[in-house]
Amino acid sequence: MGSAEPRVTIHLTAPLRPYAGGASRLEIEASTLKAALQTLERSQAALYRNICDETGALRRHLNVYVNADNIRDLGGLETTLAAGDVLTFLPAVSGG
Amino acid sequence: MADRVVVTIGTRKGVFVAEAPKTRRGFKLRGPSGPGVPVYSTLVDTRGKPRIYASSCNPFFGMKILCSTDLGKSFKETKSAPAFPKDDGRALANIWSLEMGDAKNELWCGVEPASLFRSRDGGDSWEMVPGISNHEHARKWEPGAGGLCLHTIVRDGNRVHLGISTGGHYLSEDGGQTFRASNKGVGAGFAPDPYPEFGQCVHKIARHPAAPGRLYMQNHGGWADWTGPGGPRPNIGVLRSDDYGRSWRSIAAGLPTDFGFPIVVHPKDPDTVYVLPLEPGTRTCPGGAPAVWRSENGGGTWSRLGRGLPKKEAYFTVLRDGMTIDGLTNPAVYFGTTTGQLWVGRDGGEKFDLLFDSLPPIHNVKVAVV
Repeated sequence: MGSAEPRVTIHLTAPLRPYAGGASRLEIEASTLKAALQTLERSQAALYRNICDETGALRRHLNVYVNADNIRDLGGLETTLAAGDVLTFLPAVSGG
Repeated sequence: MADRVVVTIGTRKGVFVAEAPKTRRGFKLRGPSGPGVPVYSTLVDTRGKPRIYASSCNPFFGMKILCSTDLGKSFKETKSAPAFPKDDGRALANIWSLEMGDAKNELWCGVEPASLFRSRDGGDSWEMVPGISNHEHARKWEPGAGGLCLHTIVRDGNRVHLGISTGGHYLSEDGGQTFRASNKGVGAGFAPDPYPEFGQCVHKIARHPAAPGRLYMQNHGGWADWTGPGGPRPNIGVLRSDDYGRSWRSIAAGLPTDFGFPIVVHPKDPDTVYVLPLEPGTRTCPGGAPAVWRSENGGGTWSRLGRGLPKKEAYFTVLRDGMTIDGLTNPAVYFGTTTGQLWVGRDGGEKFDLLFDSLPPIHNVKVAVV
């Protein structure tokens, strides 16, 4: 019997690739963003540390997109994922 | 044979390394290294083959430790950076201090929020030092303008002195197992009690290895005109201890202002100490004319060292780790500014020359002869 979790793609921008063995994309199965992060914590610990701090919070200056939508406009960590969704972690445009 | 002077420069846009022969002429600059994010701490580890460490304080992807084994030609991340235990509730916000430990490959690291970490494998793994990180005062410390940072680690065998802003001076006499606030004589200008047990805004602590009982402190001064509760607090900014940091007394008389960030001790003479006074309000050079001030009698009297520096219209800041001194017989003083200049004062600071004039804002300058 197959997994009930939707299969989603994580698109990795260049600064994050060294922490995932050079990969530009990862495929994981998760039904929410929170579950996706938990999967990364277990399977891609170095990558996870770049995305979340020690408390498990998303890093403050990262924006997370599901397809073209920022998760702050969706359901935050509880945002539900569907098969084929693409997650992207992008540095917020800030600083100088 | 040690025949090169290596200066590490932590900036807002990465780390630079400058290298010159022992004549300190013809410095060559390498960098910037790292991903273009602030570097608040560097360390030239002179045990064995020299290594350069740098904190890489990435606001997007978190804190890293960088290491170079080729004197700054290339840097690689260590396998991990300090991190709080998952159930601690705190998250690393910055890395402020890197120092060598006693054992080969042992490193100590001070961070924000103020806590101490220790590595025994050259920075590849880290453990939190609970004696200070979980000290009963730790959740009562408050951030200074730079954040709540443990910025100074001064070690002398089993004695460990820590500078915390704003926590004050903490002393361990059991190798870092336990710490106690040790601030007798260290004033605070921003609290009703001028001499609290802890909570002072210590900016930097320095000592000479041959005189471990003598410590110098640049504290947050500039409170001579304070009119709030407790009244004025003149000369609390520059202090000295002669009892291993158990008590402190002012040595600020004679300086143009008792506010500043760095304090540095001559490598051969424990009586010779350097500060760089700043206007307390603007934190810039008094009168637009920067100068290093030197005492050759342990803070009894001070003399101005400004030869070669701008005489007017210079309003930079030199941060707490922005000044250092090399270990050569006739040492040179180096300081980096928030406007990106690196100055060298050869002959103990008698005359300053501009080494580099357009770097990013400088947080940190360290030097070693390798």
